[in-house]
Amino acid sequence: MEYTFTLKYQLNEQDSDFDALVERLGEAGCDDALVGIGQPGRLALEFTRAADSAKTAVRSALADVKRVAPSARLIEMTPDFVGLTDVAEVVGVSRQNIRKLMLAHTGSFPAPVHEGSASIWHLAEVLTWLDTKGGYALERSTLEVSRIALQVNLAKETRRLPARQAQQFSQLIR
Amino acid sequence: MARPSHPKKEIEEAIKYAETEGWRVKVGGSHAWGKIYCPYNDHECRCGEFCTTSVWSTPKNPGNHARALRRVVDNCANRKRVRDADPVVED
Repeated sequence: MEYTFTLKYQLNEQDSDFDALVERLGEAGCDDALVGIGQPGRLALEFTRAADSAKTAVRSALADVKRVAPSARLIEMTPDFVGLTDVAEVVGVSRQNIRKLMLAHTGSFPAPVHEGSASIWHLAEVLTWLDTKGGYALERSTLEVSRIALQVNLAKETRRLPARQAQQFSQLIR
Repeated sequence: MARPSHPKKEIEEAIKYAETEGWRVKVGGSHAWGKIYCPYNDHECRCGEFCTTSVWSTPKNPGNHARALRRVVDNCANRKRVRDADPVVED
């Protein structure tokens, strides 16, 4: 199957020659990715990678970029963090529809990652919830890729937290 | 002077489509055929990274590459139109 996902990186100064970087990416077989270089110090790759699973596709893409630009730091993999508008777009329904669902199922609808003027969810959790609820034609590849994106982003975030602290807090929250 | 055409028909068509939406094209590179530049690349743009997008010479799958290029143009143009008409408010 083909999996579409985006990897966004922060570049180190030594990798700021975009043209050279793009050539190395082409050399490394990343010509199945759309390379975005519109912001200084940033690199975005929208892969459409064929593989037998989303996990294999994403692992090989991460490994390719790591080989080409070892100093590049992953900022985010998408699709993962989403607002209701994004969810509606992915599912192919109106934003109003998703919002109604959320309000009608406050107890079971996935909890957001951030609540505020713009609330954010993990796409994988919302899609999994919709999938269990039934009645929505969800693309399997999107569901699979969003689950991997969640794992990649969490793996990246935990690096911010010293192991000891993580243990102390994990007992107090659920 | 007219720019050279992209050797893959569907990619050339995607580039032409970008041009009709106001994108600028710069040719050069080896694995890369060139780059396309969004006309609205300013600090307010939300999809910043793809405001400059690289075009491959011989991508693994030309059809996918062409579709991805069109998607970038559409997303940006749509966002622009949507934002001008009705600011997106999340909750």
